[in-house]
Amino acid sequence: MIFQDMAAYRAASHTPRVAIIGGGVAGITIARKLDARGIPCVLFEAGGEDITEESQDFYRGSTVGDQYFDLDVTRLRYLGGSSNHWAGWCRVLDAYDFESRSYIPHSGWPIRRADIEPFLDETRAILGLREFKATYPLTDNFGRMDLIKSDAVRFGTQFRGELEASRNVAVVLNTTVLELAGDGKAVTGAKLFSAGAPAGDFTAPYFVVATGGLENSRLLLWSNAQSNGAVVPNAKALGRYWMEHPMYWAGNAFITNQDALEFDDEGECFMIPTPPAMAERGVANFHIQLETMPYHGTKQLIAEMACYAPRFTEWVSSAIGMHLQCSARVHIDWEQPPVESNHIALSATERDAAGVPRMELHWKKGDLDRRTLVEGMRMFGEDIALKDIGRLHISDWVLNGEDYPSDMELAGNHHMGGTRMGTDPATSVVDANSRVHGMENLYVAGSSVFATAGQCTPTTTITALSLRLGDHLGRTVAS
Amino acid sequence: MPKTSRRRLLKALFFALPALAIFRHVRPTRHDDIVEVDGWILKRSDLA
Repeated sequence: MIFQDMAAYRAASHTPRVAIIGGGVAGITIARKLDARGIPCVLFEAGGEDITEESQDFYRGSTVGDQYFDLDVTRLRYLGGSSNHWAGWCRVLDAYDFESRSYIPHSGWPIRRADIEPFLDETRAILGLREFKATYPLTDNFGRMDLIKSDAVRFGTQFRGELEASRNVAVVLNTTVLELAGDGKAVTGAKLFSAGAPAGDFTAPYFVVATGGLENSRLLLWSNAQSNGAVVPNAKALGRYWMEHPMYWAGNAFITNQDALEFDDEGECFMIPTPPAMAERGVANFHIQLETMPYHGTKQLIAEMACYAPRFTEWVSSAIGMHLQCSARVHIDWEQPPVESNHIALSATERDAAGVPRMELHWKKGDLDRRTLVEGMRMFGEDIALKDIGRLHISDWVLNGEDYPSDMELAGNHHMGGTRMGTDPATSVVDANSRVHGMENLYVAGSSVFATAGQCTPTTTITALSLRLGDHLGRTVAS
Repeated sequence: MPKTSRRRLLKALFFALPALAIFRHVRPTRHDDIVEVDGWILKRSDLA
């Protein structure tokens, strides 16, 4: 069932057991999982079925610290959420991403990869993926990882028909949950805003907050502020330990043994360090992305010259009417460590159209970020030289400790943390089942529960975790 | 000259180019036979 607003939904007299807030990857996945068990649920989607300026405006906010994307551009607020602009790159967090590392404070999850593995077949079916291939050793310290570049599933489009036909799932569009109310032990209700106007209160036995890796924190922070801490009773970590995947073009390389690397159809190859290599250098997880240039013969020679003499090569390139670059660009994407000071706060001055304080994202890369960038590049350069796979040049800005460039990718639009999973309420918000510490009926879904970020794109892991939560909720509600 | 030898020579010339520049910074690495020269990570034999 799909309703355009709350008034239409109320007229249908549907009685849900679970209220899911947010119609993105996590919310839709959980709704489908509950539907499969015959459990009635309502899914509130703040936007409609297409992007609108009015809806996106709710996502405006400000960033304090390092340069970041505009907060109303880095995510999408309509059915399907940010899957609507997702690139489709897939990989699951590795087993060691869930483990604690002595040199990374606050690392370690309360679950292991084995806890989500039972849901990986279903994850692959949802995302249309083949089996993942095992990482195979490339050098002593690096393996070539399998990253699947899939045809990105737009969850709103892909599952619209199924949701519309469902008798258990009611999707209510254009309906925002402004705040949750609670008594310190359970959520007692939700205040709604639908079709541009206040739409009264709503309650259900269980609530799942699945509004995205930024918005989950904003909703819970505001709910807590309005309820005197009765929605997230242990709120020390709420909004904190927020993470991204910083990514930069950090060097160039000659590749002398392309066969060793097995570039994909787009001329790209992805390498990850081994856990002992990371531990030895005291760096966070990362991956190296080699992006080759599609040149051969003389053009390749000139392109490779760009590594040594960029200005001269630019002149030669313009003389022959081509823009030729070094034979391979070397990008590095890394796991930003969880740091308490990287956090989401509520603006003291700015509010959205419904009167909720806008978001203020405090985000800055630290010493371990810089160390991972520099040492990660060195590790890779040394290994490909030792194995005669190629030679790497690390960009001056990296080695000289200059400011991060403002004209590169910056980060992955991956919003993680803020309601992280853990056992200690002082450093986490949800437990191993994604239930808010101390609350009987409040769960959080999506990448905001990530305790650490790993090095890979998060959507595949979000889907697997959502299936796991859907399974848990299904059993909990049924009992 | 055989094609493979020419390629090898060209490759050696490429890798030797950083050594011809005025070194701003040479840094040892964790490996005896690898050196970092102005950001280039090279085998010592590249510089021979």
